[in-house]
Amino acid sequence: MTSRQLLVIVALGQGAVLVGLIVLIIVHRWIRRRRSAVLTPRRAELDVVMQRWTLGQCGSDDVLRALARLPASLAIEALVTWSARVASERWQELSRALEHQWWPRLVRANSRSARWWKRLECARFLSLAATQHDIGRVLRLLRDTHPAVQLAAATTLERVGSPVLVAAALDQLPFLGPTVQAYYASVLKRARPAVVRHLLQLFRRLDDPRLSRIIEFAGRLHEPVLRAGFTTLATHRDAEVRTQVARALGKFPHAESVAALGCLVQDESWPVRAQAVRSLGMIADPTTLPLVRAALQDAEWWVRLRAGLALARFGAPGRNALLQAEVGPDAASRDLARLVLGLSAQALMEYAA
Amino acid sequence: MNGVLHDINIAILVYFLGLNSFYALLLVLSIPEVWAQTRLAEDEDFQRLMQSDALPPISILVPAHNESATIEASVTAILTLEYRTFEVVVVNDGSKDATLDQLRQAFDLYEVPRTYPETLPTKPLRGVYRSRTRTRLLVVDKENGGKADSLNAAINASRFPLVIAVDADTLIEPDALLRLTRPFLLGRRIAAVGGTIRVANGCTVKDGRVTDARVPRRFLPGIQVVEYLRAFLFGRLGWNRLGGSLIISGAFGLFRKEYLHAIGGYRTTSVVEDLDLVVRLHRYLRQRKIDYVIPFVPDPVAWTEVPESARILSRQRERWHRGLIAAMWLYKGMLFNPRYGRVGLLAMPFFTFGEMLAPVVEVGGYVGTLLGVALHAIDLPFALLFLLVAWGYGMLLSLWAVVLEEVSFRRYGRVGDLVRLLGYATFETFGYRQLTVWWRLKAFLGLWTRRHAWGEMTRKGFDAPGKQVVG
Repeated sequence: MTSRQLLVIVALGQGAVLVGLIVLIIVHRWIRRRRSAVLTPRRAELDVVMQRWTLGQCGSDDVLRALARLPASLAIEALVTWSARVASERWQELSRALEHQWWPRLVRANSRSARWWKRLECARFLSLAATQHDIGRVLRLLRDTHPAVQLAAATTLERVGSPVLVAAALDQLPFLGPTVQAYYASVLKRARPAVVRHLLQLFRRLDDPRLSRIIEFAGRLHEPVLRAGFTTLATHRDAEVRTQVARALGKFPHAESVAALGCLVQDESWPVRAQAVRSLGMIADPTTLPLVRAALQDAEWWVRLRAGLALARFGAPGRNALLQAEVGPDAASRDLARLVLGLSAQALMEYAA
Repeated sequence: MNGVLHDINIAILVYFLGLNSFYALLLVLSIPEVWAQTRLAEDEDFQRLMQSDALPPISILVPAHNESATIEASVTAILTLEYRTFEVVVVNDGSKDATLDQLRQAFDLYEVPRTYPETLPTKPLRGVYRSRTRTRLLVVDKENGGKADSLNAAINASRFPLVIAVDADTLIEPDALLRLTRPFLLGRRIAAVGGTIRVANGCTVKDGRVTDARVPRRFLPGIQVVEYLRAFLFGRLGWNRLGGSLIISGAFGLFRKEYLHAIGGYRTTSVVEDLDLVVRLHRYLRQRKIDYVIPFVPDPVAWTEVPESARILSRQRERWHRGLIAAMWLYKGMLFNPRYGRVGLLAMPFFTFGEMLAPVVEVGGYVGTLLGVALHAIDLPFALLFLLVAWGYGMLLSLWAVVLEEVSFRRYGRVGDLVRLLGYATFETFGYRQLTVWWRLKAFLGLWTRRHAWGEMTRKGFDAPGKQVVG
């Protein structure tokens, strides 16, 4: 074959692909329009039926029929939209009714699919309509290799408060990124008793390198039962653990919390001091005012900022301390006091977040 | 002479085949990637995300230089983004127009003391302002030092662990931040995330938001729509699979602040600061064996106004290419260096030989072919066939980008827009491509003669409240 013949073949191939691409675009657009023309009225119809069902004007059978007329992905999307508007008991009633429908069975079967997006669809469905019978499936999805599937499965914990699922989720927690952890915390709040029991066991593993992550998560729960555990860990040798303890203790206005924070505010590690001073501001115990005022002169800027913002939460005594610092000899404290005193109430709230 | 010409043409043919094979690889890799990203984007439950406190707080950095035409609308639009916790740090980089006055009036600014440590060196600050009406807004006024310097000043002033650099003339879609943080919800190794930039010219803009996406009727901005689609939808998506993307657009990219501090922030002497930053980020993380990814996410969108005149476009392209040459030269130690993994073995060679040298080789190809025809070393039909095939590849890539857009995000719904997109994708190869080759070739000449400054860009502005068609 000559080079010219090769080029001719390549050119012809290119031409064919170019035409193919244009045809593909046109056909795709046509199919999409046809699909939309069929499905949009069905979706609108479902919304009407859902509306009537929430008002008690029709039974769940009508909803099931309207859902069955949509493709699974659209039905799940509709369920996502409506799940936030329907009372919990009514929603559970619908979840139970959905168990016996053909399309939810197919979606549930996808928990073992080799394709991650099918498993994701299943996890999303279960996050809306899981029942006690789905615990095995959710457990499998919680341990899925794809993070999106794991995340969707974790949302199921809001609906199914199973100790097995909670334990599985908590075991994974230290290996997850901070953002994912925070998400888990928000969905695990409803399964509080089982979570707290498991956490108290984990608190005893002092040498566990995952301890700081566990405490960070536990702090997000605002659970008073855990306070004593936090206080005990205030002297832990790992600075990251102490930082998380300092952060968590701010949510518990208790004499023991204040005492522990009083020690942590003088810690050698500045992130610990910053968190401790922030937590002292959250508790705003008048006896700790001198400690917070002293932190305004800390060598680390971040601690000084936290101290300034904390003082603003002490009411009149804190404001007086800031006013004194504003005209005081220390330039860094002076600037910070000026900054904090100039912030509006809303700005203070956002700044301190 | 004929022998030499023949050898040159063979070398160019081999280069052309190698480069286009790599583009074909990117094209193939972009298919599963766009599928995966579309699935994730469709399955996102934003309502739930907005209600949870899981989303990491973000500092939005907005460098502004002589942006009085657009600054109020841009900042207002940024302040009303759908996201739970964020702050906006606007840096007025010694503007000679009324940028700061506009900000003062629009947001009721008052001066606050500078209390934060200036970790990254910048030009002297003139003042720091907070807003009485918008508590999330912080404005830093400083002496002129360029975009990189402004971004460094903004990083210093920012409070949150993630920072996103946004151009003041960029319109971010309301849910773009939520979408951009998706990789953080899916893993922990994220060093930076890039989003998509689209062309705002021709679109209807209302209150700082693109309300109706259109493909511009004018040739230059219209053809740039195809260029942007190609660059983002298959170029960067393909690189996602290869794990070595070197570009996160400076107009819309999210970074982990600790890494920016570690590498010393943006380099103020760099011509194209975003490319330079990402290459240094790769180098830093690879040298320290830190496990990381720098993904590109296609569904968060920011809209930007592109040049409508050939003069300004030529300067922009020349500057971009100058930046590419400078970065490739500066970090040549990473080239083919296995220490840098895929970045050293794949991305750097591609950007050096495939992108940086492409205009030189293409001009060499044109000249060689013309000479070959003139000296009867190549016969005319063969030369024309060769050009046809070379241009055909370009058309294929552009059309493929349009296909990806059509099957995934479909921002341009009208038939007229689709026809225009197809037209631009087809005719880009004839004339416009040669112009860009010339502009990029000029970058080699201007490499040592141009000083670094803000790229000149005459803007019409998205401006005042109400509806407006840009471009």
